[in-house]
Formats: sequence, structure tokens, C-alpha cells
Amino acid sequence: MTAKPAVVVTGSGAICGSGRSPAAIVDALLEGRSALAPIATWDVAHWPRPIAAEIADYNAAVLAGDRKLLKLIRRTDVVGLYAAGEAVAEAGFVVYRGGLDEAAAARFSERTGLYVGSGGGTYQNQYDYFPLIRETGGELPGFGSELVSGVNPMWLLKSLPNNVLCHVGIRFGIKGPNACITNHSVSGMLAIVEGAAGIANGEADRAVAIGHDTPIEPQNVLYYHGAGLLAREMLRPFDESRDGSLMGEGAGALMLESDASARARGAAVLGRVLGAGHATESEGLLAIREDGDGPARAMRAALADAGIDRGDVGMIVAHGNGTPASDASEALAILDVFGANAPPVTGFKWAIGHLIAAAGAIETVLAFEALRRGVVPGIPTLERIDPAFAALPVSRTAARSRSDIALVLSRGFGGTDAALVVRAA
Amino acid sequence: MTARRRVAITGLGLVTPAGNDVASTWATLQSGRSMGGPITIFDASGFSTRIAAEVKNFDPRAVIDDRRLLKYANRSHAFALAAADQAFADAGVRPTPATSPRWGLAVGTGMMGMGWPELSSLGLAAGDGEDVDPERLLASDTGRDPMVFCRAQNAAGLALLGRRHGIGGYATSVHTACASGGQAIGTAMKLIRRGTVDCALAGGFDSMVNPVGLAGFCLLGAVSPDNDDPTHASRPFDATRNGFVLGEGAGFVVLEAWEHALARGARIYAELAGDGNSLSSYRITDSHPSGDGPIQAMRWALADADATPDDVDYVNAHGTSTPMNDRSESAAIHVVFGDGAGRVSVSSTKSMMGHLIAAAGAVEAAICALSIHHGVLPVNANYVNPDPDCELNLVTGQARPHAVRVALSNSLGFGGSNSCLAFRHPEFDGGRA
Repeated sequence: MTAKPAVVVTGSGAICGSGRSPAAIVDALLEGRSALAPIATWDVAHWPRPIAAEIADYNAAVLAGDRKLLKLIRRTDVVGLYAAGEAVAEAGFVVYRGGLDEAAAARFSERTGLYVGSGGGTYQNQYDYFPLIRETGGELPGFGSELVSGVNPMWLLKSLPNNVLCHVGIRFGIKGPNACITNHSVSGMLAIVEGAAGIANGEADRAVAIGHDTPIEPQNVLYYHGAGLLAREMLRPFDESRDGSLMGEGAGALMLESDASARARGAAVLGRVLGAGHATESEGLLAIREDGDGPARAMRAALADAGIDRGDVGMIVAHGNGTPASDASEALAILDVFGANAPPVTGFKWAIGHLIAAAGAIETVLAFEALRRGVVPGIPTLERIDPAFAALPVSRTAARSRSDIALVLSRGFGGTDAALVVRAA
Repeated sequence: MTARRRVAITGLGLVTPAGNDVASTWATLQSGRSMGGPITIFDASGFSTRIAAEVKNFDPRAVIDDRRLLKYANRSHAFALAAADQAFADAGVRPTPATSPRWGLAVGTGMMGMGWPELSSLGLAAGDGEDVDPERLLASDTGRDPMVFCRAQNAAGLALLGRRHGIGGYATSVHTACASGGQAIGTAMKLIRRGTVDCALAGGFDSMVNPVGLAGFCLLGAVSPDNDDPTHASRPFDATRNGFVLGEGAGFVVLEAWEHALARGARIYAELAGDGNSLSSYRITDSHPSGDGPIQAMRWALADADATPDDVDYVNAHGTSTPMNDRSESAAIHVVFGDGAGRVSVSSTKSMMGHLIAAAGAVEAAICALSIHHGVLPVNANYVNPDPDCELNLVTGQARPHAVRVALSNSLGFGGSNSCLAFRHPEFDGGRA
């Protein structure tokens, strides 16, 4: 058995309703400020579930940093580009490569990977066809023959689920191994997992990992409500009165790097990725096992992969999406794996909402920031813990982390569960 | 590096325009018969391109004995369910409650969205310019239909496959456009190598043969407009090529850690030996004409497979039949193989079954495994007029009997992702001590 090469973090970026940097978002969490509020993007006066965490003062041109690009990308891509840009800038990637000779710079670009967790297609993508559909009465022959004059010729390119992969690659000249993961709300965490694995396996020396999603659109919100997944007013993870999740939007990004690469560049190390674990319950698209089998197996595998004992974990960042079934099974899994002496458990969705494909990425970014401060932010929307899992160490108020190690959980449709173990620098 | 786990391909499943199973698809690919034809599954009469390679005579209920599961499946999901069933039956192994956590799942999933009936009905009921009127959306049939939601999820195919086969380990869905299928299979190989799982179901599925999918490609001018001659419309590397022919379908493989396959005496079609995965970072739709991007993918796949260009006997090209792709890919093959470029046999099976988009790389991986297993190279159909920019040793006319030591499969996607998979004959030991 050879030791796994160390994977470190040398840059991070985040944007969501609570702020535009990891520090600003964790400040908001610690101050008890939630970005969940009535949706402003459309009139929700008659809307059955009107609450979400939108990015305030969204300005696409400013966030994308390139007005011309807006013809080719959508809101979800804009936030992904923004977070990636922040992580790349903090890592000093472009400046460092600029100091290399041509051959070394080319190799540097080829030895840089790019891994993206993307929300993939949204319903709004297809609305570009509405004017022509109405004009032709939904009749296909007319729709086909008027297509070229009636629809943006760039429709397909603008709708690609892998647009962030494409445009971050072009912007920063990244040419190494890559993936675009469209796997519901484990996508963001899997982007980090695969990026770290690519580095550990020697396929790349560094990699940008991004999760991005903007799921707050009328049709999508309506379907989540129809599936019984959305809360009326507040997202209350692990509370006995919890009644569902609420959506957020944004992105999180990390620059991952081999220890050797970071040292050779003299880059400041923000933290490291220790290990990951995975399980799938495979009960169907929306079904979740009550016994927490999936998250329990994922957490045990992650601890084993990291080579640490459960007692080494200082804090747990739960998926905590606020739905009755997910929170209950997740709590049982945490108690099963960590026993009576579990470290402080928290979650961030009560404030930033559920960022779906971006959730695991931004929550890992925030976990690093919390570890850096040694603080486990509280869950102020928690009023009374569900007696079904009263021993779960969650709190309204902040606590000290027991160590510099955090375990982060993500759960997605299809019964997918992923756990990631990270350590502060 | 050689101490790492080897990965065996032990089961194959195909639903393609060339046939609804492995045997019929393989027979078509040897015949050189191109399956392009007029679109029959919707009224394409108004579109600039009215041809595609459709999956024919496919009845999901005849091959999937689970009505409840099929309720959640769209056309591409049904292809996936059928191909995955075939692959497990072919492999003679499947997850059990005891082994389930050690089985992984990696799928290349197409662009998800509403089907035409739902989209057009919503547009008429609630469209407001290029947006939806939220008030009218609330009252619309589409807005109230939970099946539209379930079928449009990226994870829908993964969820159906996971449930049907009880896969309990790492499960993922990836999308890098036309490279998706190749990247999914490469991902599964890595999961086995790094010990996350011991076995995996991997593949891809797609059907963009629908009004929205076809519209997207018509708008870009990416599909061949040769409506009057559909069986010659897909002609990769021919000087007169003018776009691809849209296909549909699914391809799945069962992968096992080498020792796992040996221990149960499994038939090994081929070793999945290498993955080269690069990013062109040039333009959304094209690689650089020099082949930059695909060059790295092929080189990295060979290095990963402990193989050299001299070991390669067959390249299953991406070969879409678009002017740009085929030129860039040819340039890349010349750079990678140098003086050996005239020796290595190349074909694009898209000449016969069209471009299966997110399924293409997975189906073509299965074809590489079959080429190694049978020692036969499938045809590059419709090649008549040489293009000086695409001088390759193409398999023209008849399928070519040829022992294959190493095969490569290229999949080059919109967005710039390049996937190259390397396959070794199970008994070929060149490059390894």
C-alpha cells in the first residue's frame, strides 16, 4: 500500500444569496442572516411556495466579466464562471503561468484539469422556442420551416450543460483531464472528488473544481412543490416542524493542487482533501431509505479512504435539506456512524437555500472557511430538534470545531450519497 | 504504475439504428449498410434536415418487464434499460444484495428537457415571449404533470438503471455533449482502478431525434441536409461531407476488475486499458485544425494503456462527417501516428448508424471491444471522394479481417472535451513486463 498523494486547496470562490465570497457567506451564517426571502424574479403573490435564496443585484455582465460572452451562456454559467474566476485568482494560477517559458506554460496548462458539477438543462432553456411555437400554433411543419428566422441560431450552444467547462477552459487556458457531472445534488461534491482523484492518480498536477446551479425558475419550483419537497416559509434542518427544502442559487469553486505543485509554486495552502466515500440506495428517483443506509455507508467509506478515525472529525456539515425524510435518515446515519460522541453537526441550507448541483461544492468551500475560523456555525431556524433523533448534536448557536477536520455530506436524486473529508491547512 | 488494477470488459449491450442488440448491430456494421432514412417518429417535413438514423421496431414493453419503471422512462431511458439488460445477461454476472455496494454506475446522459408535446403545449398555454407567464404556468397541464419533472431529471436514467439492477456503490451521470459516453466509461474504469468499486455498469444513452433536438442542430447547420439521399448523407472523411446524420440509442458495458473476471471464468472481450481525457479550450464547436486537443487525448490514452502508436491496429474515429471535425481529427491521427498513420486502420461507424451524441462514445467503445474479440474491423461507409486533408487508411467497402492488439475510440464533444479510450486484446502483453 502506497500512501495517497496529498491534494491541497490553493484557491476558493463562492457566490450565493448570502454573499459573493466564502468569508462574506460565513459571516452571514454566523450572524444568523438568511438569504431566503420571497422570490423577486417573478410575481409570487399566488405562488404556493414563494420563498428562495436569490442572488441580490444580479448583474450578468459584471459577474461574467465579459459582456460578449452573455450571448453564449446562461445565468447558471455566469455564476459558475464567477466562482471559478475567484478560485483561480486566489491561487495565483494565471500570474504563475505567465512567468513560465512557452513550453513550460503549455505543459502547465495540459497538466491542469477542470471538473464541473452542473445543473444541466433547465426548463427555461427551452423557452427560446415559445415565440415560434405560438406563431405556428404548435404545428410542426410550420415550426420546422420557420425555425431559422424564428429562433436564436446559438440556442443549442447556449443550452449546453457543459458550458462552464467550455468557457472556464477557454478563459484560463485549461487543457487537461476534465468532467462535467450532471448528477443532481451530488454533482458539486463529485466534481471535487474527481478533481482530487485526478491529481492523486497523477493525471493532473492541479484542477479547478466547480459546482454551479440556478434552479430558481417557475417551472422547476412548481415541480419541486408538486413532489412535496418545498417548505412553506422556512428551511429548518432537523427541526421537528421541518416541512421541506427551499432553493438557492450560485456556485462554489476550489483550486485543487498536488502538494508538490503547490510547494513548487510557493502557493499558500488553504486546506486539503483527505478522502471521499460513496453509496447509492437505488430505490428510485425520489425515494429514500428510512434507515440512512446510503449516507452511513458513504460516511464510513470516506473515513476509511481518509485513513482517519471517526473521533478525528471536528465537525459535520450535513446535507440538511429540511425535508422530513432526508433529514431523518441522515440524522440516523450520523448517529449510527459517530455514536454517542458525534462532533457538532451543522448545515448551511437554512441560510443559502439548496443550490442543487452546486450544493456540495459551495458547502465544501464554506466548510474550509469555517474550519479556518475553528467555528461550527449554528442553525438559527432550529427551534426544537425532532425527538426521533434527539441525540444529534445540532444547535441554534455556533460551537467550536473539535478539530481541523470536517466531514461534508451531499445527497441527490436516484438515492446517491457522497461524503467528503477535508482538513484546514 | 503497472501494479494498478486492470479492467475487463465482460458484457455488452446495444440498441442502435444498426440493430436492437449486439449481434444485429455488429452484422450491420460489417455489411457497410448505412441506416440513414427519412424521419418517421415525428413530422419533420418543415425542417431543413428531414433525415436521421432511427432505432426501428423497438418496443420497450417487449424487452423490459417492468411497466412501472417504464412509466418514468422517456425514449432514451428505454434504450438505456434495454441495453443494460443485454449487457448484464451477456456478462453472466449482476449485483446481488451482498455485492451491490461494490458495483458502480457511470452513464453519459443526453441534454435533458421537455419533450415536444409538453413543450409545445406549455408554449401555447403559458408562453410569454421567450419566457413563461407564471400565472398561466400554474394552471397548465405541463406544469401539473409530475412525469415531466421526473423524466427531465439528469439523474433519471441513473435512477432507473440503479433501481432495476440494485447498484449500491458510486453512481454518476456525466455530460460532455458528444464525448459523454466515452467519458462515462473512462470514469467507470477509474473507479475500479482506484478501488472505489470492483465492477461497474457503464455506458450512454440519448435520443435527440425529436423536434427540439433536431432544431438545435439545424440552427447550427451541423446536420447533413441531403434529404434526397439519406443512406449516403453520413460520409465521414469524404471530401464532399456536409454534416452529420443524427442517430439515437444506447450502449452499455459491464466492467470488472481483472481478477474478478478471471475468478469466475468470464469471457473477456477486451481490456479497457486507457483513458485520455483532454480539453481543447479553443472553440465551443471545434477543435483546432491542427488537432490540438484530440492529439493529447490519444497520446494520454496510449500512455495510460502502456501502449505505443505501433501497437494500435484500429482507430474507431469520432468521424462525424462535418467538415471541421474530420479535418481536425485526421490531423490529430497524423500527428500521433506519424509515419505509421498509413498503417493503422480507421473507420467511423457513424457512417452507418449516425451520431448518437451522448451515447456515441459508449456504443463505439462496445464496437472496439467487438473488433478485438472478432478480429474484424467495421466499415467506414460512403467514402468515395478522397480529401487531401483526411488521408487515412480507411476501412472501405467490406469489413476488414484484422487481428487487433490495441484499439482506440475517439469521442470529441461540443464544449471541447476530448475522450479517447484505449482497448487491449486480453492476450496482448506488449509494453508490459
